[in-house]
Amino acid sequence: MFDMVLFELQDIAGKEHVSTRASDKEVYSIDYFWISEMWHDRQAGRDITRPMADFIVHPANAEEVSKVLKVANNYKIPVTTWGGGSGSQGGALPVFGGIILDTKRMDKIYKIDEKSMTVEVGTGIIHQTLEWELEQKGLSTMHDPASARCATVGGFIAHRGTGVLSTKYGKIEDMIVNMEVVLPTGEIINTLPVPKTACGPDLNQIFIGSEGTLGVVTKVTLTIHRLPESRKFRAFIFKDLSTGLRVGQRLISENLQPSVIRLYSENETKEVIKKVLGIEKTGAYLVYGFDGKQEMVDLQMKYAKAIADQEEGEDLGTELGAEWWKNRYKFFFPPYMFHLPQCFGTLDTVATFSDIENVYNAMKEVVETRYPMARFIGHFSHWFPWGCMLYARFIIETPPEDPHEAIYLHNSIWNDALRAAMKAGGVLNEHHGIGLKLSRLTPELYGNSFQIIKNLKKSLDPNSIMNPGKLGFGV
Amino acid sequence: MTKITQNNIDTLKACRYCPMCRQSCPSEFISYRESDAPRGRAILLHSVYLGGKEFDSSAIQAIYNCFLCGACKSWCSGQELGGYDIPELIKFARRDIVSHGLAPQSVQEIRNSLVENDNTRNLDSKLSCTALVVEKTADVLYILGEGVNYTNPEIAEAFIRILGHQQIQYTLLKDEPTSGKELDLLGYRKEAQEKAKNMAGRIKAAGCKTIVVSDPLVYDALKNDYPAWGLKLESEILHVSEYLLSLIRSGKLKLKPTQMKVTLADSEFLGRNNGIYEAPREVVRASAGENFAEMQWHHEYLQSAGEAAFTFDGSAFKRGEELGRKISIKAEDINAEVIVALSATAKNNIAATTGLRVMDIVEFAANLMV
Repeated sequence: MFDMVLFELQDIAGKEHVSTRASDKEVYSIDYFWISEMWHDRQAGRDITRPMADFIVHPANAEEVSKVLKVANNYKIPVTTWGGGSGSQGGALPVFGGIILDTKRMDKIYKIDEKSMTVEVGTGIIHQTLEWELEQKGLSTMHDPASARCATVGGFIAHRGTGVLSTKYGKIEDMIVNMEVVLPTGEIINTLPVPKTACGPDLNQIFIGSEGTLGVVTKVTLTIHRLPESRKFRAFIFKDLSTGLRVGQRLISENLQPSVIRLYSENETKEVIKKVLGIEKTGAYLVYGFDGKQEMVDLQMKYAKAIADQEEGEDLGTELGAEWWKNRYKFFFPPYMFHLPQCFGTLDTVATFSDIENVYNAMKEVVETRYPMARFIGHFSHWFPWGCMLYARFIIETPPEDPHEAIYLHNSIWNDALRAAMKAGGVLNEHHGIGLKLSRLTPELYGNSFQIIKNLKKSLDPNSIMNPGKLGFGV
Repeated sequence: MTKITQNNIDTLKACRYCPMCRQSCPSEFISYRESDAPRGRAILLHSVYLGGKEFDSSAIQAIYNCFLCGACKSWCSGQELGGYDIPELIKFARRDIVSHGLAPQSVQEIRNSLVENDNTRNLDSKLSCTALVVEKTADVLYILGEGVNYTNPEIAEAFIRILGHQQIQYTLLKDEPTSGKELDLLGYRKEAQEKAKNMAGRIKAAGCKTIVVSDPLVYDALKNDYPAWGLKLESEILHVSEYLLSLIRSGKLKLKPTQMKVTLADSEFLGRNNGIYEAPREVVRASAGENFAEMQWHHEYLQSAGEAAFTFDGSAFKRGEELGRKISIKAEDINAEVIVALSATAKNNIAATTGLRVMDIVEFAANLMV
């Protein structure tokens, strides 16, 4: 049967775009999820096998995706969509084998519309490649995550990604005008030409964040902006996290419209800010930034500083603020980034301003009291009119040597920390997604409303071929 | 498998799960496969060197699909501190693959051709433009490199015109041998060193004061590999662009101004390995002045022209044009009329994909000299 399906897939995408090579199966079995990395890291001397795809297919367009999905339905073969493979939740792992649908050949920039300020692209484009092309014309999507260099636009859509400028420009879901989607059964649909209508539910929002379980987004029109005339930053040290959170909340509620606010907990200031930026201070490091017309930015900077001064922040100046901006990606490169054999995870969540500090404290307490071998750090990096996100992390220097024990510990921390977050008003995730990692907790988060999402899945994907095992859907 | 060095282990461990340089890797965006990205290759090599697996043929192919252009290093923000070096890791793995007799057939064929004919393409040395050279004593020895010697004699002719115009005594090496660089990049160090010894002997016998080299691979070999292998050359070693610049600076060589918009395709082996970025620019600017324009990617962020693109998916030399096309697009984006290249390989790969004029830097200078 395998060989029969292989020929059908080759007829669709071309022989050179369908791989069954051992090297590809191996590489596509590891994404940025700690467990997949650990599983690979510890294979020496152990009888460890990782779930692997049977076929890796590189379709060129929606039509080819459609045909692949029809074949997959005919034979009830699982299909896992893969963009850049840089997701941290295991969302792109082919846990039940089948087909990996690598979208990166769908990387065309179809149209840059400087009147409507939109760009239409294939979702397989690496986001940085898109940004570089826009930059040539003085434009940007203003979606600026650390993963821009390695993730695809489709990957961001799949898990509701965000970037460092989100406080002003929004998350990826705020930037989408319309999309082309291949449904699990192979039909190619387009969402409405514009997203702000009074024509019923917004179809875009059904597929955004669906992590490849409800279809494959093959083309998207995104909003774009002119590069700002001025972009300025200023950094402060506040005596504690509570003060820093109050400053952030005031920057938002007093309508200063910052593009960046990033607040580091006292222990992350001590550990990470020192390591990457070389700033050795006690307290909570906060950097804010504004962009736009020079005079407006100067005015915003003036009012922001007044708030920081009122809260008795130690002014580190604009240069150390700009230094953060310059090094904003550096945090994610080795040797700065956490890495194996460490066990680590990003417990990002989001809550209202009223709840967010409680969420932080609840997660911190759970991790530190139940798991004394773990460190807990966090920063607050995406701010909304009603609250902000917490980018919390746990790190264990020497996790158990036995991989199953290590996974048990890893999963236990996730369970306990996120249940504490949900109890305090947080949610499972803010911008990394659910994937395989948090799939088991998703029905718990949604409660009885999860049935609505399940019904949607059943209706769109009757054979449950799309990314099984993810997003709480099982198989 | 051969015991891996600590530097290579550090690279493996840093790069195996880090995708942050992937957008810079030219090989991934030809095949679009994860195994053709630095992360993918590090995962595969980690499995072999630290995971107890054997090399399989597709992993070996992925290792030979790397163009060794070094873009991953240029785009790594941790490189300065960590010293991660994917090209060195790949070269180590290739040597190991070769030592275990696992090199792909296409690679073995290139090796045999280099050993027997001193070129990668199995061409008879009689077809080279140095076949009829009569060696003489001179201050300047001009080394062409394989591309100029076998496929692009017009570059050598242009340089010889400049030397003649300047009344500079020069010599060439009859049946110019391979430097060994290609063999080393393919994993055949022993054979590479034998060829290097031969080349070094020929150079010494020529007794020149200055060696001027066209081919960036040969330049890199003479500058870096030979000293590392204990082959000391007493002569000064210059790339043709550096030599032309010295002639221009001394006032001996004058170039007419050109009104054409000119851009430069940097060389990975000259630039990333040897820091030669400014000399060719100064030569071009000596004529083009304000009409010189940079493409989007230049200096350390250059786009690979495929100087070491010997094999890809087992097909020798088939993918260079795809790299050339990416450079052509960027040149067309800035409305350039002329693309100046720094190697025969770059010239051919770029010229095959554009209607713009593409010329080597010595052709540019020769065409405009007063």
